[in-house]
Amino acid sequence: MSATGRVAAGRVRAWLERHAIGLTALVTAGILVVMLYLPVGVVFVEAVLEDGTPTLGHFADVLTDPFYFGILADVFAEPLAIGTHLGSLAGWLAAISISLTLEYPLPGVDLPVPWLAVDTPGVRKGLFGFTAYQAALSTVASVVLGLPAAYVLANYEFYGRRTLRSLTILPFVMPGILVAVGFYAMFGRAGTLNGLLGTVGLGPYAFIETSPLAIVILAHAFYNAPLVARLTVAAWESVDARTVETARSLGASERRAFRDVVVPQLAPAVLTGALLTFIFTFMTFPIVLALGGLQLATVEVWIYDRIQRLDYAEAATLAILETILSLGLTYAYLRYESAQTGFARAPSPPPKERLVPDLRTALSPRRLAIFGYGLVALVLFVGPMASLVVGGFTDGSGLTLRNYSFLLERQLEGASFQTLPLPAIRNSLLFGVATLLIAVPMGVVISVLTARTGRSGTIVDTLAMLPLAVSGIVFGIGLLQGLVFGIPLPGGWRFQVTGAVAIVVAHAVAAYPFVTRNVSPLLTNLDPAMTESARALGASRFRALFDVELPLVANGIVAGAAFAFAISIGEFSSTVILASGGESYTMPVAVERYLGRRSGPAIAMGTLLLAVTAASFVVIDRVGGRYEL
Amino acid sequence: MTELRLEGVSKRYRAGTDETTTAALTDVDLTVRDGEFFTLVGPSGCGKTTTLRTIAGFEEPTDGTVSFDDEPMAGVPPEDRDVGVVFQSYGLFPHLSVAENVGYGLRFRDPPGGVSVDERVAELLELVDLEGMGDRAPDQLSGGQQQRVALARALAPAPDLLLLDEPMSALDARLRESLRRQLTRIQSRLDITTIYVTHDQEEALAISDRLAVMNDGRIEQVASPQTIYREPETRFVAEFVGDNNVFEGTVVARDGDRCSVDVGGKTIAIPAVSNGAERVHFCVRAAALSPAVEQNQLSVSVETSEFRGETVRAYGRWNGVPIVLQLEESPADEITVGFEPSSVHVLEP
Repeated sequence: MSATGRVAAGRVRAWLERHAIGLTALVTAGILVVMLYLPVGVVFVEAVLEDGTPTLGHFADVLTDPFYFGILADVFAEPLAIGTHLGSLAGWLAAISISLTLEYPLPGVDLPVPWLAVDTPGVRKGLFGFTAYQAALSTVASVVLGLPAAYVLANYEFYGRRTLRSLTILPFVMPGILVAVGFYAMFGRAGTLNGLLGTVGLGPYAFIETSPLAIVILAHAFYNAPLVARLTVAAWESVDARTVETARSLGASERRAFRDVVVPQLAPAVLTGALLTFIFTFMTFPIVLALGGLQLATVEVWIYDRIQRLDYAEAATLAILETILSLGLTYAYLRYESAQTGFARAPSPPPKERLVPDLRTALSPRRLAIFGYGLVALVLFVGPMASLVVGGFTDGSGLTLRNYSFLLERQLEGASFQTLPLPAIRNSLLFGVATLLIAVPMGVVISVLTARTGRSGTIVDTLAMLPLAVSGIVFGIGLLQGLVFGIPLPGGWRFQVTGAVAIVVAHAVAAYPFVTRNVSPLLTNLDPAMTESARALGASRFRALFDVELPLVANGIVAGAAFAFAISIGEFSSTVILASGGESYTMPVAVERYLGRRSGPAIAMGTLLLAVTAASFVVIDRVGGRYEL
Repeated sequence: MTELRLEGVSKRYRAGTDETTTAALTDVDLTVRDGEFFTLVGPSGCGKTTTLRTIAGFEEPTDGTVSFDDEPMAGVPPEDRDVGVVFQSYGLFPHLSVAENVGYGLRFRDPPGGVSVDERVAELLELVDLEGMGDRAPDQLSGGQQQRVALARALAPAPDLLLLDEPMSALDARLRESLRRQLTRIQSRLDITTIYVTHDQEEALAISDRLAVMNDGRIEQVASPQTIYREPETRFVAEFVGDNNVFEGTVVARDGDRCSVDVGGKTIAIPAVSNGAERVHFCVRAAALSPAVEQNQLSVSVETSEFRGETVRAYGRWNGVPIVLQLEESPADEITVGFEPSSVHVLEP
């Protein structure tokens, strides 16, 4: 190379290095526009177009249809007829009756149990009303089950406390379909619970068939109670013990000090947990699909059903309405969260009591209540997963390998149109790795851009966090209609992304916020003097990033990568849409397809999925990943 | 070796959502001579750190120019400015060893004097008395040692300018004094132009060739420590730097090299004021107020006093003016002190 050539090459390199961060940001922005905003935009366009002309007719149809909005549909239809609406509300309130019955039958118990019956006249809730209703019940259940756990974890020291504390994140990486199958394995007709009851001569009971809503709510609590517990424990442990001691020294009783000092610091965390739970369960899909089916349909399940029937316009309209609601909720959550001060580690965290110091204390009412709760928690949280593992090896009559041999047979002899186990496993792992490779650089770049840019950083942050508020189903339709069916470009070209690529894109977009959430806090906490020292010593911004910042946030990157892998492995909603008909099905999709016929093979497949998920969890836990959103 | 010049440097930040800005620096002019130990001193928020960051290139000035040896630095990124910076928090790289920290700048510039990187690192570690510590991790060192590693790292590529941003404020008082001596020794040995930022006026007076006192984004006075201490130009400098008592009064009579000033009803004799001003501000150092002097006597009501070893420092009031005294013994509740007119320093209006 000539001398001038070398100089020119050096200049190009220097220019590239100087603008490397900007260029990566551009590429990331490009990916986001094509793979995230475009699909969501396509759904929106679909919802407001009828035969090529813009219309709000679809929305009006849905909003005024009692099937979707129940009694609210009347309000939407005639918003000004306030008198009529108030009249029907008064009529409803007047018809509530409360009575005490003495005969509530418990299965297998002949004694009459007093029972307070509140009899409310039926309200037509509609699809959206029901979705909100089950989300509200799930939120209450999650808070009720999560708070005692937070109390115990924050106030008592016992063997395994730390493990238990880190296990509260497990549900976060647990595929929804897996939880559903776990509950099947436990509460199903041939499940472990009926097996246990059978040994004392009871049952079998059809738990899932008779009260599907209760089972769905329990499954949601399985998911979200640990989240509530986790957020609350973090807040509780950040309460400075000195503030409580100050209150006591100023004359407050123990109870009063708790109410005045501790509760106000816990309340935001509990509310945050409740709000997140509501958002998650409002957008619930695989659990309801697998455990409830269409008679318990939530908005997501109904959208999925519309897509299966190729009714895209209605699916898109419902999807946009749901997204508007969930965006509103997410916005409320983010506003509320930013108003809170972060959970800084307290200078002197509250002391922890031994849970079992001696036998006498162990038998005190408070300890007994804790053990009682522990038992409930054991049944609810360990039960389904244990049932899953056990269920893979039983078939109602005894130990067997039939479920696994079914998978093997299917693999060896199944027709190509059938769902085979091996391709499912291979696809899952392949997509997981591909997702990780795309999501990690994307997430890191967004973290770098948002770490220290002040107000413009907040905007980037909000735009980049959109995937958290858009459900997988909505995103799935968008990808299907936008990229899979193709978008015509000028000059007769078509922009089309199909099959495996579309699925990986969907997974990457769902996963990168978790990378960002793991890397950003570490990056923001780095002393800016380190980067500035590196620059003063001659490093370019890009070089300083590689030499100083990235090595120091390596743990966050590894945790983010494990999250990305786990999210991809467990993703169900958009995969089930994009994989329909094709060969790019993954393990969760296979689980759902097997579930349709006999539960045994599904449970066996679920166990394999559980093993892979647990492995990612171990990685996340080892490197101290962050699990709060 | 480098001379540094700031001309009309201003820095404004956008405040909040509207178009209003807050000024961090207003029209700062400075010339730091080649090889000089120059200090920026002032209360927190006065703009001294912003000035330093502007010199290093971490901030671009809104107006004005920064030049090194008459070469304007606008648009030159920090990595191309050949400056060594030591931050208050040191900014050591925790994932690199002490030697790797010191050698980091040598990844981008060749070591001076044709020596190898290892030799240069060893040379610098010796300079800061940390021979043989190269393999340690930074968090295995004490605060003072970390501070010296940061200094060695900044000096390793032989920068043109050394910038120190409150490098000692995280250390305890005793350690600070010994490090300060070490720093001045190294600075004069290397003869490197050095800008030192501190909020500690005692430290500033102790180590600088010259210093600039800053307040509210402006420079109040630039001079040698002796001049700053003895002849403060403004009321702010008088109050910030010395143990000064500042008085304000009206000239009532002029008589040769003396003039009489009415301060709250009391007539005080001070040296002649050159201009024809009616209102004057003047200051008298604490040590100049003595019970033994019979001129300009003030009867001070003492509020508190502190034992300081050789002396006693007393704080009180006279005529509503806060007074600080340096005495030999603890005073009673009331004490009468006087001062010579020659010990008065008249401030600029």
